[in-house]
Amino acid sequence: MDLFLQQTVNAFALGGTYALLALGLAMVFSTMGLINFAHGELMTIAGYILMACGLAGVPFALSVPLAICAAVIAAVAMERIAFRPVRNASGATMLVTSFAVSMILQVLFQNFISARSQAVLLPQVLSESVRFGGLVIGVNKIAAIATTIVMLIFLDRFMKHHRVGIAMRAAAEDFSVARLMGIRANTVIAGAFALSGFLAGVAAVLWVSQRASVDPLMGFTPVLKAFIAAILGGLGSLRGAVAGGFLLGFIEIYLAAYLPQGMQEFRDPIALCLVVLVLIFRPNGLIPSPALKAEKV
Amino acid sequence: MNKLLISTLLASAMAFPSAAETLRVGVATAQTGALAPFDTPVIAGIHIAVDEINAAGGIDGKIKIELLERDVRSDAAQTSIATQELVDEGVSVIVLPCDADPALAAIGVVSDAQIPAISTCASSPTLPQIGGEYMFANFPGDNVQAAVSAKWAHDEGLRTAYIVYSPDTQYTTMPLYFAEVFEKLGGKMLGQDTHTIGQQDFSAIATRIAALDPQPDVIMTSTYEPDFPSMLKALRAAGVESQMIGSDGIDSPTTFSLGAVAEGLVFTTAGHPTEGSPLEAFNKKFEEVHKKAPETVFNAVGYDLVKVIEAAVIAADGSTDPKVLRDAIANLENVQGATSTITYKGTDGMPLREVSLIRVKDGGRELLGQPTPDASLIPEPRVQ
Repeated sequence: MDLFLQQTVNAFALGGTYALLALGLAMVFSTMGLINFAHGELMTIAGYILMACGLAGVPFALSVPLAICAAVIAAVAMERIAFRPVRNASGATMLVTSFAVSMILQVLFQNFISARSQAVLLPQVLSESVRFGGLVIGVNKIAAIATTIVMLIFLDRFMKHHRVGIAMRAAAEDFSVARLMGIRANTVIAGAFALSGFLAGVAAVLWVSQRASVDPLMGFTPVLKAFIAAILGGLGSLRGAVAGGFLLGFIEIYLAAYLPQGMQEFRDPIALCLVVLVLIFRPNGLIPSPALKAEKV
Repeated sequence: MNKLLISTLLASAMAFPSAAETLRVGVATAQTGALAPFDTPVIAGIHIAVDEINAAGGIDGKIKIELLERDVRSDAAQTSIATQELVDEGVSVIVLPCDADPALAAIGVVSDAQIPAISTCASSPTLPQIGGEYMFANFPGDNVQAAVSAKWAHDEGLRTAYIVYSPDTQYTTMPLYFAEVFEKLGGKMLGQDTHTIGQQDFSAIATRIAALDPQPDVIMTSTYEPDFPSMLKALRAAGVESQMIGSDGIDSPTTFSLGAVAEGLVFTTAGHPTEGSPLEAFNKKFEEVHKKAPETVFNAVGYDLVKVIEAAVIAADGSTDPKVLRDAIANLENVQGATSTITYKGTDGMPLREVSLIRVKDGGRELLGQPTPDASLIPEPRVQ
């Protein structure tokens, strides 16, 4: 039983990180219908800022907000430079643009920083663990779970009560009507990118605090997981993204924990099969976006 | 008519000396993509060695080395295409990427053209075995590294072991060799786990190992960054205190900056800069050229590779004919590289090189020894 509880805590920590990542993707998708595959590079940028701060001797408590700010600025810049010119183009154009941005950034990191992983200095406390009864929980797990909860509450309040948040929800539902009501498209889209950068920055801190290093291709895995989680939850739906993130985290951890030894090699395909299975029964995701006008024939 | 004569004369004047006094080396390696972290440092080492040799007038004072470089983007198909291009350019030796899989993708081209190929830093002993007589490696084999670390663990009185490996590449299956040697020495395997390369979260595996009773004395893995720090931190956070053993992939600054969790960690690697050693001299030279200390031993491994080519050309009496060079490489003995002496004679292309056993102590490296394992202990190469 202890073992099960322990693995459940692991699943919450991983699922929470996936939820933050998926939310970042969903935030942008819901306003402009773009899956931003360069989302992972925002994490890499935040990671490099953590690295640079570590080298410069900046205390961790200060380098975290700096890293998150960098991700926000990078996200807004990305929208202004790369995505605004193609905003009215087809979905495929925007998708290819996001791949291009991602690859350009990766090659820039490889050539101007280093092709090799760079160490990120982390406070010792993040490697320690705390005992609760029979459970041993790593401090970075507790941090991940707590951060996820705080972020979800913050986002919920922001989307419900803040002017930009309300505008974003309106735009997600029907952009044309929202604009007729006097909502500025640029503000809403820039706001969505800033928020997704914020989420990427927070997720990057959690991600890097586990691996203690940052490399040019670091963003690939998280954005892939986020994409799966966002599809699983229902593309464009924020609540769905959270649900999808947690479900993916639970599937991965429980499979790693309880799949028999001989089957472990097939863990990832089995996890994806389970995702497909969920989608067979709920083709639009766990909590579909109300604005999703997917025609099924 | 005159013009034609002059240009023909000029062309022949330019072509002849270069054919006789230049060794064209094709470098088809990963400058971008997932293998770039391993190939780019090796290439930096190759450049240092080539510049050094050319500055001294070339190999044996007369044969300059010309590098023809192609980026294969860590892609197997691209490696094969780039290799074909280099063959068409008439190179005498080809340098292939670090991982056995893309290197093997080029093997058809290389064997057909009968040009010797050396992988920058692939360590799987299956590489020359599958690759045939034109394929050479440039790193201590996985099976040799595993034999060294298993012997050390046994000598330390560690009797039970657990391995975590990934079936994704040949290199990350090194723990299977470890298990084989460890059992041969009389140790007991308590179990094994697999992971995917790039897996971020090791908490499920860590929880399972933490629940073992009794705990394994030693846990061996050949995973590398970013997976390794993540695995190590997860194990320690779950309360696992076992001795950890790793391999050359974690010979990187990240490992030494992990703080308390990495203390006591032991790993095998290609070299250690003891005082007065060629590696120490190489590191100084690297610092002069790049204005920073080398981040990894792979820089020196690149230097080794050029030293092997140089020795082969000298042994072949200055010939740049690929077939002659292949035979010369296969018969090289005790070539002094930056990390070790290198011998190909009597092997199938997997060189005999020293393995250094390093322990992390106070965030620095402590040399435990540079043992040559008993030949009877080294497991047979196994195709995964």
